[in-house]
Amino acid sequence: MHNRIITFIIAAAALAMPAFAQTAQLPAPAPIEKELATRASNVDEITMSKNMLAAATLFMNGKDKDEVAVQKLISGLDGIYIRDYEFEKEGQFTAEQVEQLRKYFETSEWSPLVRDRDRKTGESTDIMVKMVNGKSCGMFILDVEPKEISIVMILGPVGMEELGKLKDLAFLGIMEGTHHTGPDNARKKNSNQ
Amino acid sequence: MDEFEQELRQAFERQPAPLGLKRSIMASRRRSSAPRGHTVLWQRLAATLALAAVLGGAAVWHQREEQRKGEAAYRQVMTALRITNHALDHMNKQLAAHHRASQQ
Repeated sequence: MHNRIITFIIAAAALAMPAFAQTAQLPAPAPIEKELATRASNVDEITMSKNMLAAATLFMNGKDKDEVAVQKLISGLDGIYIRDYEFEKEGQFTAEQVEQLRKYFETSEWSPLVRDRDRKTGESTDIMVKMVNGKSCGMFILDVEPKEISIVMILGPVGMEELGKLKDLAFLGIMEGTHHTGPDNARKKNSNQ
Repeated sequence: MDEFEQELRQAFERQPAPLGLKRSIMASRRRSSAPRGHTVLWQRLAATLALAAVLGGAAVWHQREEQRKGEAAYRQVMTALRITNHALDHMNKQLAAHHRASQQ
């Protein structure tokens, strides 16, 4: 009887494991994010699991080459974690706050790829990659400008080459500053060009 | 006393039921049960229609909810890509500026 209960618990844990594994990959928000969000004039906070990314691909036009490219890019991803804080004026966040953000995400599984600092302007860029068995399994970007902080974490097989293709997607330029544009509106704007 | 007993015996004497009594009882029973059967049928029909309406409504609501979530996810992906693109663009500009500065 006792053995049966133990077997049942192990089986239940084994069944529940994939669900936990899927959500465990995306990080919890950094504590400093709340502080930055209250000071920022414009905040974008996006956390999407693999399932949500799959749901988004259903609304993409299979005939539009840009949307096909996006579909291809996100179809293999495990999740995305994006934060963007835009500030009215310069100096609304400190170098210490940026450092806290950096330390929060800088864990042993991420290897630094680019580390760029401009001491005059305070601008900086950090790019880290997550390598598993020699393959890229994630990318992290922390971009700091005088009036903007962007955090980009992409989990899944993605490389700089794929991300570099983003600049070729026409509708991303249209989306600039129009955060709440729906798919239909975006397509309309795209076709008007 | 004998007369009274005789009257009693006559009163309790078994007599055959009048002809057609059984048929008339059965007919009246059928008449009374027929409208009740109709009521049950209507009740069942109404319950089926109500259940179908609830299930249909739930299906439509679920479909709309899925569509709303999908469209929201689509917008989020586009915003995420725009932010990623912006961050990469800024990084490229910064690296190019540093490269130029180191050449000078």
